[in-house]
Amino acid sequence: MKEAKKIFKAAREEGRTFVLEHEAKDIMKAYGIPIPAYATATTVEEAIEKSKSMGFPVVLKILSKDILHKSDAGGVKINLKNEDDVRKAFDEIMKNAKKYGKEKGLEIDLSRGVFISDFVDMGTEIIVGVTKDPQFGHALMAGLGGIFVEVLKDVSFRLIPFSETDAREMLSELKAYKILEGVRGEGPRDIDALVEVMLAVSKMVEENPEIIELDCNPTFVYEKGKGALVVDARILIENLNET
Amino acid sequence: MSTVQTDSINLFFNAKSVAIYGASASQNSVGQAIVQNFIKPQYTGKVYGVNPKYTQVLGIPCFPTLQDIEAPIDLVVVAVPARITPRVFEDIAAKGSKAVIVISGGFSETGPKGAEIEDEIVAIARKSGIRIIGPNCVGVVDTHSHIDTFFLPEYRCGRPKPSNVANISLVSQSGAFAAAISDWTAELGLGISKLISLGNKSDIDDDDLLCYLGDDSTTQVICYYTEGYDEDKGRTFFDTAKTVTPRKPVLVVKSGRGKRAKAASMSHTGSLAGSDNITDAAYKQAGIIRANNFEHMFDMAKALAMQPAAKGDRVLMVTNGGGLGVMTTDALEALGLNIPSPSAELVKKFNEKLPAYCAVGNPIDVVGDANSGRYNVVLEEAIASGEYDIFVVGMLLQTPSLDMDVTNVISNHQRSSGLPFVVVSMGGGFTTKAGEIMALMGVPTYPTGEKAALAVKALAQYGEIRYGAKFSKTMVSDK
Repeated sequence: MKEAKKIFKAAREEGRTFVLEHEAKDIMKAYGIPIPAYATATTVEEAIEKSKSMGFPVVLKILSKDILHKSDAGGVKINLKNEDDVRKAFDEIMKNAKKYGKEKGLEIDLSRGVFISDFVDMGTEIIVGVTKDPQFGHALMAGLGGIFVEVLKDVSFRLIPFSETDAREMLSELKAYKILEGVRGEGPRDIDALVEVMLAVSKMVEENPEIIELDCNPTFVYEKGKGALVVDARILIENLNET
Repeated sequence: MSTVQTDSINLFFNAKSVAIYGASASQNSVGQAIVQNFIKPQYTGKVYGVNPKYTQVLGIPCFPTLQDIEAPIDLVVVAVPARITPRVFEDIAAKGSKAVIVISGGFSETGPKGAEIEDEIVAIARKSGIRIIGPNCVGVVDTHSHIDTFFLPEYRCGRPKPSNVANISLVSQSGAFAAAISDWTAELGLGISKLISLGNKSDIDDDDLLCYLGDDSTTQVICYYTEGYDEDKGRTFFDTAKTVTPRKPVLVVKSGRGKRAKAASMSHTGSLAGSDNITDAAYKQAGIIRANNFEHMFDMAKALAMQPAAKGDRVLMVTNGGGLGVMTTDALEALGLNIPSPSAELVKKFNEKLPAYCAVGNPIDVVGDANSGRYNVVLEEAIASGEYDIFVVGMLLQTPSLDMDVTNVISNHQRSSGLPFVVVSMGGGFTTKAGEIMALMGVPTYPTGEKAALAVKALAQYGEIRYGAKFSKTMVSDK
C-alpha cells in the first residue's frame, strides 16, 4: 500500500495521471499479482546487460511520461532473441519516439529509457480491468481477450470489493467460459490463478481508491496448475487538480 | 441507519396530525385536492390548513402560520410556490415539526436558481432535524394509515388497498409514474402498503426508504422505479440492499438503459463499461431483481408477496389443457427453469390413479374432462415424491367438468406443503372472477403462461438470492 502511494505521489509531481509500466508492476508485485520478470534501462548497454541476466527472449517498451499508448508511438518490440536484437530494438524505439514527438508536436522525455520484460509463452488471453462508475464507484471487469472482447463485448462486471464466489460467478457468466473450462481437446485453464489475480486487483483498488481506471491486458492464463501472468498493465489515477 | 432515523421516516406514514401548507378553497387546486384526501373518514388523525387567506378550508381549521396551531404537528405537506418555501421552513423549524413533504416544483429540476432555493430549505431542515421528501413529487400514500398526499382526485386516480395476504411497497423517482401505479394497482387489486414518490431526493432518497421498508412489517416486497442515482448514491443503495435482500425481495425497474455518451476513456475497460453494465452487475451482486418494465415487475412482485421463495428450480406443470401446458413450459424453459419428467415410480403412481387417457409427463395433462379430484391426485403424489420445488397449475375454467373446488384443492396443497404455487387461468369474465378468488386464497393467478412463467422465475431467482448455496440448482445452462 505504501509502495503505491509513493508511486502515485511521484506521478502527480510530474503532472502525470498514469503510472509508468515498471511502476504499475511494482505496485502489482506488492499485491502478489504474478507478473513476468522485468527491469528498466536508460542506455542501450544497460538494456543488453539486463536482458542477458533475465534470459532471452525479451520485450522492450518505451518508458516515458509523455507516452501512454506505447504501440502507437512504435515503442514496443517483442521476441528479441539476442544482444543484436536488443541493440537494434533500443535504437529503433528511441528513433520512433522522437518521430512520434515531432508528429504530435510534443517534447518527448526519453531520459527513462526502456522497460524490459521476459517474453513469456502465450496463454489464453484475458482482460481484467477496473473502471470507476459515477453512481456505483469502482467495478472490476473480466473477459476473454481478442475478438471476444473487441467484437462480442463478452465481458462481465462486479463492484469492488467482491467475494471469491462473485469472481467465479463472473467468469461463468462469460459466453466464452467454456474456453476456460477446456474445449475441443484443450485442457482446462488455471481458473483458480485467474480468480486470485481478480481478487488481488480488487484489494489493490480498495486500498488505493485514487485509481480510476486499470487494465491488465493481456493477462495470460495457462493450463490448470500452471498459473497466470499479467503481461501488460496500465493504471490511471485521479487528477487532483480537476477535483 | 440508526433507529432515530427510521423513527423520523416513520412519521411520514403514521403521522397523527397533519398540516397542509397552502391549503386552498379554490376548486381543482393542488392545495384543495390534498385537503380532500385527509378529510375522508378513513384518516383518523387531526388535519389543519395553513394559509393566511382562510380561517377554514372544506371545514378544517386554517391558520396564518404553522406556529399559530396549538397542537403539535407530526407531518407538514407543503404546496406553496417555491420562492416562499424558505420562509415556510423557518416556520416549520420554529414549530418543531420533523417531517415535511414538499409537493411544489420549481427547485433544482428547473436550474441553478431553483437549486439555490432547494439548498436553502435543506440547510434549514438539517439544522433543525427535519426530514424532507421531495420537492417536486406527489408524496406518499399509505393504505393502512390513509395518509395520502397525492393531489390527484380519486375519481381519476384510484387508490390501491392493502391485502390481508401480503403487500408491496413502491418507491418511485417519478411522481407521474407513482400516480399511474396507484391507479393501475387499484384496478388490478394488488395488495399495496405504501407508494412513495421521491421527486428531487433533496434529503430522503432510495437508500433511506430501503432501510425503512426493509424493517416495515406491512411490506413484504419492495419495488423501485429509478432513473439514476446521484453521485456515489448508487453505492450506498447497493450496500443497504445487500443487507435487505436476504430478508425481503427487492425489485427495480431502472430506465436509462440506453448507451449514454461515455466520458472520454483512456483505458480499454473504461470504454467497455457502459453505465448499464455496471448497474446490472451491482443489482445482481446485491441480490436485487431487475425487471424490464412495470408489467414484469408487478407480475413478479405479486408472486413474491404471496408465495414462499423456492428452494430449487424443478417445476411441475399440471394442466387441463395441452396447449396451455406446452406454452407455459416453453416460457419456463426460455427463462432457464428445469422441467424434469416425473420418475418411473411417480409415473406409476399417476397411472394408478388417473384415467388412462391422461398424458402423464411434464406438463402433466389431466385433460378437458378433469374435475378438481384429478388435480388433487396429481398434486398429492407430486408433492409427496419430493421431485419438484415449484408448481404451476393451469386451470381452464371453460370446461363444464372443472368444479370450483379446484381453488380449494390448490390452496390447501400450497399451504400444507409450504411450496410455492402459481396458477395460470386464461379466459374472460368468469375466469377473471375465479382468478380473483384464487388470489384471495393466497395463490397468485395469471392470465397467460408467459406471465406465470415470469412469476415462477422470480420465485426461483429470489430463492437463489435468499438461500445462496443451499438453493438446489439442477439446471445447467447451455450457452
